[in-house]
Amino acid sequence: MDETVAEFIKRTILKIPMNELITILKAWDFLSENQLQTINFRQRKESLVQHLVRLCEEKHASLNDAALLDIIYTQFHQHQKIWDVFQMSKGPGNIFSFFFFNKVTVSFRETEENAVWIRIAWGTQYTKPNQYKPTYVVYYSQTPYAFTSSSRLRRNAPLLGQALTVASKHHQIVKMDLRSRYLDSLKAIVFKQYNQIFETHNSTTPLQERNLGLDINMDSRIIHENIAEKERVQQITQETFGDYPQPRLEFAQYKLETKFKSDLNGSILAEREEPLRCLIKFSSPHLLEALKSLAPAGIADAPLSPLLTCIPNKRMNYFKIRDK
Amino acid sequence: MDSYDASESTPRQSTSLRPEDYFIGATFLQKRLESVRKQTSFIPTPPRRKIPHCSQLQEDVDPQKVAFLLHKQWTLYSLTPLYKFSYSNLKEYSRLLNAFIVAEKQKGLAVEVGEDFNVKVIFSTVLGIKGTQRDPEAFLVQILSKSQLPSENREGKVLWTGWFCCIFGDSLLETVSEDFTCLPLFLANGAESNTAIIGTWFQKTFDCYFSPLAINAFNLSWMAAMWTACKMDHYVATTEFLWSVPCSPQSLDISYAIHPEDAKAIWDSVHKTPGEVTQEEVDLFMDCLYSHFHRHFKIHLSATRLVRVSTSVASAHTDGKIKILCHKYLIGVLAHLTELAIFQIE
Repeated sequence: MDETVAEFIKRTILKIPMNELITILKAWDFLSENQLQTINFRQRKESLVQHLVRLCEEKHASLNDAALLDIIYTQFHQHQKIWDVFQMSKGPGNIFSFFFFNKVTVSFRETEENAVWIRIAWGTQYTKPNQYKPTYVVYYSQTPYAFTSSSRLRRNAPLLGQALTVASKHHQIVKMDLRSRYLDSLKAIVFKQYNQIFETHNSTTPLQERNLGLDINMDSRIIHENIAEKERVQQITQETFGDYPQPRLEFAQYKLETKFKSDLNGSILAEREEPLRCLIKFSSPHLLEALKSLAPAGIADAPLSPLLTCIPNKRMNYFKIRDK
Repeated sequence: MDSYDASESTPRQSTSLRPEDYFIGATFLQKRLESVRKQTSFIPTPPRRKIPHCSQLQEDVDPQKVAFLLHKQWTLYSLTPLYKFSYSNLKEYSRLLNAFIVAEKQKGLAVEVGEDFNVKVIFSTVLGIKGTQRDPEAFLVQILSKSQLPSENREGKVLWTGWFCCIFGDSLLETVSEDFTCLPLFLANGAESNTAIIGTWFQKTFDCYFSPLAINAFNLSWMAAMWTACKMDHYVATTEFLWSVPCSPQSLDISYAIHPEDAKAIWDSVHKTPGEVTQEEVDLFMDCLYSHFHRHFKIHLSATRLVRVSTSVASAHTDGKIKILCHKYLIGVLAHLTELAIFQIE
């Protein structure tokens, strides 16, 4: 076994948390049952890893086998990458053939749901591919969509785009303004699967009690002052966001170039023709759930602005807004 | 403080509220809540402040020496007056503090991984960092790593820096006797453990007290307005605000960056009194930003917590962190911070 392959396997296994090790090795399906049984999983990680590498050597693991292990690790740790979304189309576009002078390592792994995981390690004409900074592409073969992990090696982006387009028999590729760590959520948004009713949701409880957390056993002499308003807000929020858990995004970014119009004082910037140039970024561990809670908390009006509520529907979280 | 005309903003009591009515009613309530919230800090701050300008004394400032103060993040503390501190004993203080640090580290307290016990402490004065002649001289304390090789006399790397200053501190200076030196503003850069050790030594030696200086939203708004008001030849950074939204269970941060020329345009539009900044102008400036944001997103930024402001002059975080970017307005920024520090002490 090549030394670089051995090193690569060693570093990949070292990344794997102990509680996932057996699962990942089984999914890899490279080491035999017999070999796996010889392993003492209680020993210190250093020695465990060395033992595993020796076993791989016995079986003459190739670079491709190592790459496959890396794919599986990444599948288990999708959230460590940030994913972009590309949409391909047939139609007038460049029919090109290109010549691939650069050395690359390409590996594939198919999963259920018609998804293919592709791993590409990039090299140049003169250097071997760098196995430690690969790009991942998840391609759903029945669809024109591909999800790619944001690569630090930006110069490879056009090459990747071309390769994808050709390989999937399309003619054009466009990067969507959608990006997140959560591949599942991106999928749900892109394929419009996010409005499934949550299974364990109890829809028999009256709206009031469920959402407002009111205690119906409370003294009937105590009333909520603005209960009508609260209910209105709840209703609108529900209509906008639905009853289901929201797909998970971490941010939304808006580039605004709009004129200033104030309700406060008509004279402020009244003569100014130029728009205000603003960049607004919303960040949250779970953006859509946070936005959903704003109106009920009194921090936002209901209905919330369509600029925010359109995110899953328009499949975007990057926007450029100009005055019409 | 409430610039709202009461007649147009009384919430109507009709049972069927039109959306516009609700908006007006809510905004009125928001404004009221804002005023109350601002007043709870009970700061006897002047309703007007001078726009920071170059101090006449700034010609004495050695640009080389103050260059290192810029573009660094400083953690802020207020400091009560130092008892029997003397500028002629700086060498002695260096020696004593050095010994103290070595002793503390050998005790096993606050040892960082890989840290060297070979350190050197230097006290030095920084000329020109003051507002008036009455202000005491600012001074600097630095911890440097000492070179291991005896043959090399080179200064090692600076591990920690702290400096003490007082800009326009008249209100404090007037209240203390001759034995006290007033340097109410302390800024530190470097490991927290070192700050703690230095702090302990100063407290023991000069009977003073350090207290972290937080900056609340009210003061951050003032800083944003004043720094936007500063005339700049060119802008090195965008003007940016960060709000933290108190929603649960997920947190939400909103960052609002505006082109500095546009921020200045808004400011120039609300600014009336030349050379001064008033409370009303600060409020109006912020309200413009809030209302532009609300128009697009229907979110009331005024109901959230302002956590950070950043301009080409300086940036400040509510946790008491500051970074000064512009040499020209260094004294002005420090003057404002000195004022906050003095208020915290009193």
